[in-house]
Amino acid sequence: MAKTEHDMLDDMALEAFFEAGRAKPPQPSQDLMARIMADAVAEMPAPRPIARPVTPPARKPVRKPGLLAGLIAGIGGWPALAGMATATVAGVWIGFAQPDTLNTWAGGALLSTSDMATSYDLEDLVPSYGSFDTLLEEG
Amino acid sequence: MDMAFDVNSDVTDEALLVAYGNGDRQAAAMLTMRLTPRVVGFSARMLGGDRAEAEDVAQEAMLRLWKIAPDWRQGEAKVTTWLYRVVKNLCTDRLRKRRGVDIDSIDEPADDAPGVVQGMIDADRAAALQAALTRLPDRQRIAVSLRHLQGATNPEIAEVLEISVEAVESLTARGKRALAAILATKREELGYGED
Repeated sequence: MAKTEHDMLDDMALEAFFEAGRAKPPQPSQDLMARIMADAVAEMPAPRPIARPVTPPARKPVRKPGLLAGLIAGIGGWPALAGMATATVAGVWIGFAQPDTLNTWAGGALLSTSDMATSYDLEDLVPSYGSFDTLLEEG
Repeated sequence: MDMAFDVNSDVTDEALLVAYGNGDRQAAAMLTMRLTPRVVGFSARMLGGDRAEAEDVAQEAMLRLWKIAPDWRQGEAKVTTWLYRVVKNLCTDRLRKRRGVDIDSIDEPADDAPGVVQGMIDADRAAALQAALTRLPDRQRIAVSLRHLQGATNPEIAEVLEISVEAVESLTARGKRALAAILATKREELGYGED
């Protein structure tokens, strides 16, 4: 049997029930609010800045210094190494190219003034060599 | 309350959820205060007024929201719509289990409710409405509750129920007709005749 007007509420009457329902909505208990907030804190990701760079700068790989780099650093770095190289070259040059000038600078202390040879004789290295030669001649 | 201004501020639920995903504790508090009443309201409608169970569902739904926050995809769904869908699924599962065990567990309004002689006061009407809602099929109850008690729009309800807007309109209309019939009977039972 079809519903008559007496069997049903009209829209206005039904809306009065909805209004009552909206006016008295089920309210969460304080305990529930506390539980939900505790869940929120437990699940919350670690704080991070909201604005991040679009492309984060790439980190340079940290390289461990090698053995040579360690030695160079030990003697004072590249400037010290350059000084050492200069001293080495100068030493070679002084030793082989300029003995006369060097002797002049040294005030004749390196070689005797009577024998200003520009090269070393065998007797300079082995002083007894001359005596040995005389001994051979005398027999 | 001191927090009333914050809870009712213009900041959207989604913006707060993103802030929470970035570790903002205040956003968590604001979302809790803003959304929990809605979630409890809907779950209580769905579960026929069982407050303890409704609160369990609300806590579970909010927990799922906290978990998804870091991966929330902005602009896809309203936070409330997402929550309503979660609540709907959780309640549907519970109702299914409940019906398998105790089919008569639906709450009825108390026969000795106050105010029946002079007329139904709001509390009585609200109780009668809740009782009537529990007698509706699940989908009609969801559609009517969301539309007329939670203030959701038809497109939002369509999203919750995963049906078309036209189907929502049809469900709501049928639900309201059924409610009108049930409440008319209740009105007579309570001794409150036609105006």
